[in-house]
Amino acid sequence: MRDDKPLTIYGQKFESRLLIGSALYPSPHIMQEAISASQSQIVTVSLRRQNSVSAGDDFWQLIKDTGLKVLPNTAGCHSVKEAVTLAHMCREVFATDWIKLELIGDEYNLQPDPVALLEATQILLSEGFKVLPYCTDDLVLCQRLAALGCDVLMPWGAPIGTGKGLLNPYNLSMIRQRLPDITLIVDAGLGLPSHACQALEMGYDAVLLNSAIAGAGCPVTMARAFNYAVQAGRAAYVAQAMPEKDVAAPSTPTMGMPFWHQSN
Amino acid sequence: MKKPKVAILGFGLVGRIAALMLHERYQLHIFEAAPNANDNGAGALAAAMLAPMAESVICDTDIAELGVEAMALWPKLLAALPSSVMYQQSGTLIVAHPQDMGDLRSFEQRLKPMAGHYAQQASSQDIARLEPELAGRFHQGIYLPSEGQLDNQAFYKASFELLQTTDSQFYFGQSVELHQEAQGRIKVNDAEFDWVVDCRGIGAKQQLHGLRGVRGEVARIYAPEVSLHRPVRLMHPRYPIYIAPKPNNEFVIGATEIESQDSGSITVRSTLELLSAAYTVHSGFAEGRVMALNAGLRPAFSDNRPKTSVHGNVISINGLYRHGYLLAPAVVKQALSKELL
Repeated sequence: MRDDKPLTIYGQKFESRLLIGSALYPSPHIMQEAISASQSQIVTVSLRRQNSVSAGDDFWQLIKDTGLKVLPNTAGCHSVKEAVTLAHMCREVFATDWIKLELIGDEYNLQPDPVALLEATQILLSEGFKVLPYCTDDLVLCQRLAALGCDVLMPWGAPIGTGKGLLNPYNLSMIRQRLPDITLIVDAGLGLPSHACQALEMGYDAVLLNSAIAGAGCPVTMARAFNYAVQAGRAAYVAQAMPEKDVAAPSTPTMGMPFWHQSN
Repeated sequence: MKKPKVAILGFGLVGRIAALMLHERYQLHIFEAAPNANDNGAGALAAAMLAPMAESVICDTDIAELGVEAMALWPKLLAALPSSVMYQQSGTLIVAHPQDMGDLRSFEQRLKPMAGHYAQQASSQDIARLEPELAGRFHQGIYLPSEGQLDNQAFYKASFELLQTTDSQFYFGQSVELHQEAQGRIKVNDAEFDWVVDCRGIGAKQQLHGLRGVRGEVARIYAPEVSLHRPVRLMHPRYPIYIAPKPNNEFVIGATEIESQDSGSITVRSTLELLSAAYTVHSGFAEGRVMALNAGLRPAFSDNRPKTSVHGNVISINGLYRHGYLLAPAVVKQALSKELL
């Protein structure tokens, strides 16, 4: 049995291992209900340029009403300069030094740009930000980000909004093994609660998702399902799964069974 | 007999429909914050689609059904106007590029069943038959035959034209203050009224708790090389985009949806997204002329459902969100029916 340590992000501890997004819900009211049903303690918020503090304040107020820790993101940024500027704006608007750093390298599948991500991470860490970089599942990239000083890394499961689940479990599990002290969160690409469960079973500390809940037929029920899934996945990780075997092993002892009932 | 006096606050889409329903029985005084009649409110910019099935994907069934009810009211409202307003019921065609088929399937799954309304799978041949200029460009789509649209610019003009021929009085560029008087009378600024119908949309934000603006941006393009017979929606991973053909080779292409109170000019990013999406539907848009790029605020409550209320003799109708043309006739009729109709 492994130790069940709480999720820790830059020194702050959280019980819930589900980070939830605030976009794409059918209405703000449903968003609030879904967030509540997810039992998440951290909500991500995207700041578009048009949402100056006064301009976006109604929606921002709805987010504040949830009482959750806010994790602003730099969604939609394509260059280091854009991302750094937006991070500065986020720090001012949301009064937090946390930033989910998202730097898009490919417009169509929204794949993060690893090169620009390293540069922006270095700048923001040096300015005192607590950076949560959204990255691909490349081990060397993750090692470089950790070497820069990131306590938390957020490799993707699959491209944003695809709902494909963990496309490369081998890569993700290698990152987990090689960076045992880093908080790892699978961010993006999950579609089903079983995907979240799989990430947690693998030893990932949490998952971050938005579309899988917001785009479900009933976002509130799906939020509840994801909450159960991360709890199940974490419990399974702590409990340590039995080793996989290639040959069947009976779960009922066969000793004492008459020999003519035993096959071969 | 002297007609009772009714003040209508706001001369956008909802204010106009209220005025059209009330002008025969009441003497109307119409207050509008904008300096003129024809370009105010989200309703002036919208694509004016009547798409209860397509919208059922994002709204509750009862709202979509209210849209069906409203569709039946439009022809009578338009028939009373002094000049003709294009009203079309030729359906909506929904198409997707091959890489966005997942979004099309998800859209189809979420269409809510409604009596008398149905969705048809559209093959390459169906698409070519419905919209010959899209032949070969799309291989799969969905056709919603019962949907429609109207020409909102013509509706704005014609409704003002009609009301000018009545005893209605207009006050443009006027902000309003309401004062409740004794014996149930109410004052707007200094004048007394029997009833007030508040249709100010986002202009009533200070009075209506929870009302917010949802920014929308649209382009209006003159494109003589493009011929479409009905609104076409394009599935896109991040932005559902529609192209609504209007008279005189004009097209309304929209719309972004951003949680913001900023009504400032459209951004370069939104412009690129809308126009490039239109170009991928029909390359004839490349030579089109940009007539206007607009941004406006849709008034919405936190559940994105319309709300009507009666307090004393003030009737308030607001929060039609992105469903102004879809819902307004039915919502306004419901709101006014008990007290004034």
